[in-house]
Amino acid sequence: MYGAVVLAPLVCIMLSLCIGRFPLSFGDITRVLWSKAFAGGCIVPDSHMSIIWDIRLPRAILGALVGACLAVSGAAFQGLFRNPLVSSGILGVSSGAGFGAALGILIFNTPAAAYPFAFFFGTVAVFCSLLIGRVYNTTPAIMLVLGGVIVSSVFASLLSFAKYVADPYDQLPAIVFWLMGSLASARYRDIMIAGSPMLIGIAGLLAVRWQINVLSMGDKEAHALGLNTTRAKAIVILCATFATAGAVCVSGIIGWVGLVIPHIGRMLVGNDNKILLPVSMALGACFLVLVDDLGRVMTGVEIPLGILTALVGGPFFVYLLKKTKGGGW
Amino acid sequence: MALINVTNASFSYGSGDIFREISFSASPGELFCLLGPNGCGKTTLLDCMLGSLKLKAGDIRLDGTSIASMRPGELARQVAYVPQKHDRTFPYTVRDIVKMGRAAYIGLFGSPSRSDEEAADEALETVGIAHLRQRPYTQISGGESQLVMIARALAQATPIIIMDEPTAHLDFRHELVIMETVARLVREKGISIIMATHFPNHAFYFQNNGVATHVALLHEGSFLAAGAPDDILNEQNMERLYGVRTKLLTCDGYGAQTIKQIIPLGTV
Repeated sequence: MYGAVVLAPLVCIMLSLCIGRFPLSFGDITRVLWSKAFAGGCIVPDSHMSIIWDIRLPRAILGALVGACLAVSGAAFQGLFRNPLVSSGILGVSSGAGFGAALGILIFNTPAAAYPFAFFFGTVAVFCSLLIGRVYNTTPAIMLVLGGVIVSSVFASLLSFAKYVADPYDQLPAIVFWLMGSLASARYRDIMIAGSPMLIGIAGLLAVRWQINVLSMGDKEAHALGLNTTRAKAIVILCATFATAGAVCVSGIIGWVGLVIPHIGRMLVGNDNKILLPVSMALGACFLVLVDDLGRVMTGVEIPLGILTALVGGPFFVYLLKKTKGGGW
Repeated sequence: MALINVTNASFSYGSGDIFREISFSASPGELFCLLGPNGCGKTTLLDCMLGSLKLKAGDIRLDGTSIASMRPGELARQVAYVPQKHDRTFPYTVRDIVKMGRAAYIGLFGSPSRSDEEAADEALETVGIAHLRQRPYTQISGGESQLVMIARALAQATPIIIMDEPTAHLDFRHELVIMETVARLVREKGISIIMATHFPNHAFYFQNNGVATHVALLHEGSFLAAGAPDDILNEQNMERLYGVRTKLLTCDGYGAQTIKQIIPLGTV
């Protein structure tokens, strides 16, 4: 099981190296990777080298990371909030990041400024949700969800305002394009920068994945079972926020993955978060890499990821639902 | 020596005490029945003993240690909990649910080991629902689901189990299944059980079946009476506690035992 969890995303990444407008065979791919690793990159044409090593590979790796992050934090949040309709953006990460990106583009006039602003405001949004949720001394899950809804709507308004004041020929298209989600600009630098919060988030969530089962029993029972609920919740929220904010700031807003991939995981392997979290992670990674491939080759121009995820995933989800009869889900 | 000691316990959510100056104790292998009308504070008192609410005054001690000074994990190795109503969320398997009883023995970053799984299986055997282990617990009946909660508490391997109306909403047979299971746990495993219930006859049932039983009647925030069922559960106390006229019946059961039951006649 755990072997497949590691192997499947690797296979999808390899596959996506072969797919694209410039046709390359599997043999070309292996030669490029081989020469990069052992021969200093001198035995293959430069064009092959740059297409595979500088364009397709970072893009596939980033896609896998982003998909894994969104799916794993979605699964963790669904357990934490005991609600199957919750997604990775429930505490306002995505709307905060959306506003942050728009603000960055407004101030500095370049899409590159979107990254740090998106990450910062995504995190800020989650902390606002937590503060609202702490109106009472404890933090009941429903208050957190309410906090997330409030914060999301506030940031959505701020985003609309940013769009309203943006320069319609230059800044507005940049904002809209960012919001649709894309991996087109992926470089190794992005992986280096955004990769660390993503990897920290994933590692943290995987470490406490069995405790998410206990948390999903509700605060009172989880406490009676011996879990330090405050600490466990803090770890889950912090890690999920890191993972999602890291993902959103490089990819833009990609919906659907954090909501539905965990459910596909549940249909395949059941509800135990000990298995579900790694499986969701692998599914999310594979799904996003493959959908991104589709977006690259389907038409002459690239189709933004945020549009395709639901278009491709929706029918697939319905098919699985029929096939597995939901598995008690 | 008493296993659990509650001394002068008071609690309030703000203004107005929910209960005040309550004291009692329970010894190993003893069943303590908490009776009282809806809203009298039974659940609040149990929540304080579970550490999920903090007392305003007074002290709850386990084996001499105050629970206020215990971490959740430490407390959960002493006291397990069977909720009145468990909100089912995701369709975990019955075995997954029972395994969660081991959380107090597993670190924050750990997951159940082989021995934890064995403890869960043993608890399922003890309660007699081993055949349900792979079923999603959202698809079993209310009675079975309550047995799952008891199995989870057993997997927790604690000397004390707190039960909040464990037979609420159960049918005629399953109510008795739960009662028999509880009686067996006290008699055979020497577990102390503190149980809130709506039915005075539950206390008689345990007494009739050879379980060391104590009863306390919680009325308007303090104990109206406490002691053995024979001394406490009478027609006068039922009228004061519930405002119900009753008749206490005694009859011979099978064997030599005498069976006592309280029959409600009408409200006052």
